[in-house]
Amino acid sequence: MAEHFGLKYLRKEVLPTAFCPGCYNGILMNALFQAFMELGIEDLKRFVFVSGIGCSSWIPSPFIKADSLHTLHGRAIPVATGVKLANPELNVIVIGGDGDLASIGGNHLLHAARRNMDLLVIMINNQVYGMTRGQAAPTTPHGMITPTTPYGNPERPMDVASIIAGTNANYVARWCISQYIPLKNSIKDALSRYSRGFRFIEVYAPCVTYVVRREGKTPGEKLKELMKKCIRIETWKNMSREEREKHVATGVFKAEDKPGFIETYNKYIAQALGEK
Amino acid sequence: MTERLFLSGNEAIVYGAIDAGCRFYAGYPITPSSEIMHLMAKELPRVGGVFIQAEDELAAINMIIGASWAGLKSMTATSGPGFSLMQEGIGYAVMTETPLVIVDVMRAGPATGQATKSAQGDLMQARWGRHGDQYLVVIAPMTPQEAYDLIIEAFNIAEAYRVPVVFLMDEFIGHGREIVVRRGADKLVVRRKPSDHEPPFGSKDPRIPPPMPRLGEGHYVLVTGSTHNEWGYRDVHGFETHYKLVTRLKEKIWDNIDKIFKYKVYGDPDARRIIVCFGSTCRPAIDAAERVGGTKVLRLITLWPLNYDKLAEELSGAGKVVVPELNLGQLVYDVAQVYPRSKIRVINKVGGGIPIYPSEIIKVLEA
Amino acid sequence: MRSAGFLGMGGQGIVFAATVLGETLYRLGYYVAQLQNYGASVRGGAVYGYVVFDEDEIVNPFIEELEVLVILHEQGRRRWENIVRKSEKIIYDKDLVNPVKNGIAMPIAEEADKHGVYRAMNMVALGIASRILGVKGIDEAVDEVLRSRKNYELNIKAYGIGLELAERARI
Ligand SMILES: Cc1ncc(C[n+]2csc(CCOP(=O)(O)OP(=O)(O)O)c2C)c(N)n1
Ligand SMILES: [Mg+2]
Repeated sequence: MAEHFGLKYLRKEVLPTAFCPGCYNGILMNALFQAFMELGIEDLKRFVFVSGIGCSSWIPSPFIKADSLHTLHGRAIPVATGVKLANPELNVIVIGGDGDLASIGGNHLLHAARRNMDLLVIMINNQVYGMTRGQAAPTTPHGMITPTTPYGNPERPMDVASIIAGTNANYVARWCISQYIPLKNSIKDALSRYSRGFRFIEVYAPCVTYVVRREGKTPGEKLKELMKKCIRIETWKNMSREEREKHVATGVFKAEDKPGFIETYNKYIAQALGEK
Repeated sequence: MTERLFLSGNEAIVYGAIDAGCRFYAGYPITPSSEIMHLMAKELPRVGGVFIQAEDELAAINMIIGASWAGLKSMTATSGPGFSLMQEGIGYAVMTETPLVIVDVMRAGPATGQATKSAQGDLMQARWGRHGDQYLVVIAPMTPQEAYDLIIEAFNIAEAYRVPVVFLMDEFIGHGREIVVRRGADKLVVRRKPSDHEPPFGSKDPRIPPPMPRLGEGHYVLVTGSTHNEWGYRDVHGFETHYKLVTRLKEKIWDNIDKIFKYKVYGDPDARRIIVCFGSTCRPAIDAAERVGGTKVLRLITLWPLNYDKLAEELSGAGKVVVPELNLGQLVYDVAQVYPRSKIRVINKVGGGIPIYPSEIIKVLEA
Repeated sequence: MRSAGFLGMGGQGIVFAATVLGETLYRLGYYVAQLQNYGASVRGGAVYGYVVFDEDEIVNPFIEELEVLVILHEQGRRRWENIVRKSEKIIYDKDLVNPVKNGIAMPIAEEADKHGVYRAMNMVALGIASRILGVKGIDEAVDEVLRSRKNYELNIKAYGIGLELAERARI
């Protein structure tokens, strides 16, 4: 039997992964690897993966066979920024959780997007802080019960993709984990057609342990539910407010190919100093 | 090429860093360190380096960590409030053995305190500001010339030992302008890259820091701030891995103390009256010692690791020991480890940007 | 080791006066240390700037006894009483500063105003300090430094007024 296409991008010696049975992180990894394969990427020598702290941050470290920096909680984006600025030849990808990237690291996300920093950021929105046992995250639905919202979440969730679409970021998309093909294609686009500036992909994938099982569902049942719940943004826009709240708007929010931070920085310096 | 310039300590740091090979700077404005940032923004692109204004100090410290792993000598500069924000990142740099230089131009704290007023209140924080067992190097210059010379040394130590170096300066040196001879670096430490069989996070002899791979060169390096083995694989459960790692990180610094630790004696080396000091405070101390005679000044250049044996040796047979500091008493704890606290006279002054004057030291020396 | 300093309030250009003096002495080949103390805001608050210089390396620039001290505002005088008390030759503005024991009152602000250089009162102060210091070649060096900065005409004119004031007072 032929080896699975993803294995060459993995450190086999650390498999199986440490994720809970049925965790959707596996589907994302598959999509990522399929995107690499379809782009003809043989190995990940010139890729650097940067992540913070959380279950999602474990995807690259230690599983992906590439250079990886597993950084502090919330600080993946600034570390990635430093790597990219110091060596623009490298392909720098950030993978992390909603708590990591939108809460404790929210400021960095906003500013990297504003700068149109040359990074691809993939954020797993699992609606909770998975690693620390399912507390509320900035993405937790209104009313949801978690250990820190025992009477229901009084806050409303943050629409991270829309917020980032409102910055200078070049590319913004959101996909549900049930939308495998468009997700994989979106990753491909963010590495090829749109290969510069800030690219942000939000992956909606409820935590199987602290959201799905708490709802009394299996990961499989939840996937079927997501297939109905996740709709294209164009359809979502025409819905009533009530209907919108029951659905997740997915698709490409923005796709531009403006020069990223590095090109712009170098241009200004070349203009002023007349070299480079 | 040697240039004789008239520079503030902050400006001297920039030229020293550039001469040391620093090619990446990330920072966030804060008085009294901002001039470093302004000059870096201007000078770095001229030597092919990269400058970025970060969104906050959390970003700044983490950006330089990333840049260091990508192969550039990197630094940031800040002051009290920003230095506090950087602590977690500095701890990460210690754990991942990332060479960095962090300049703290001290001002009067805590909190916002007095932004433009000199102080020496961050000594303990520079050493112990992070959680967990962690050891790094702290160096304190005394003049703008030393800001230039010692920042080069700071980069060399950072590279040689794969450790963050805190460059603890105070506002008087940062903003005071003096003659600075830009003489260039005598020697620059070059980062050692590993062969395929050399682990990037371990060595048999803890005194020899492991080689550091550079991102993008096929090492498939795993960098993590969690407890890891010599190849970078996480082990967040085992006693052995953790104990071995943090012990090695400590020994890497403390077992090289003879190479790292530096101090200087001024005045009368045989005198029994001794002043112990660091940073700008040493200048009025040396002045006072010269004026009254019969006084030795023991000036610490390296504040961490601190060679307590050397300190004890220098203080053996001392009569009166005086410790002047621009804080409420921090260096005095070190002196008290090797000399009876009851016999130590302190001079503590902080706020308003008023230095300790020689007259005040003389009064205590002669009392 | 020789020294000269300026006391005043934010906005009067005290630090600039010290900077120009420092740079001047540096150009003349001295070892120089220039220090200052000011608030975070541009206006208001006591400001102090001074320079020490010598033919040898400077051991300690943190001194209380200045050879020459020019005071342009009461705020500065009050805040730095210790310096005022211990300094040797003290010149103060007769209108903006309360009488200083053993000091010499001069119409610094008044003269600056009369000649239309009120904004450059700091350069008048520099002229006075410079004449008292009497360092060889200082006027030419000041001229050179001021040429490299903004508002050369205004500043050099004010500097000249300071030189004259000091000469008239025969100090
Ligand atoms: C400064 C800091 N605060 C808190 C923590 C504890 N912590 C670890 S992971 C985590 C939340 C992770 O949530 P998320 O980023 O959403 O990742 P997930 O596990 O859900 O994939 C927290 C709060 C930490 N490691 N560091
Ligand atoms: Mg999460």
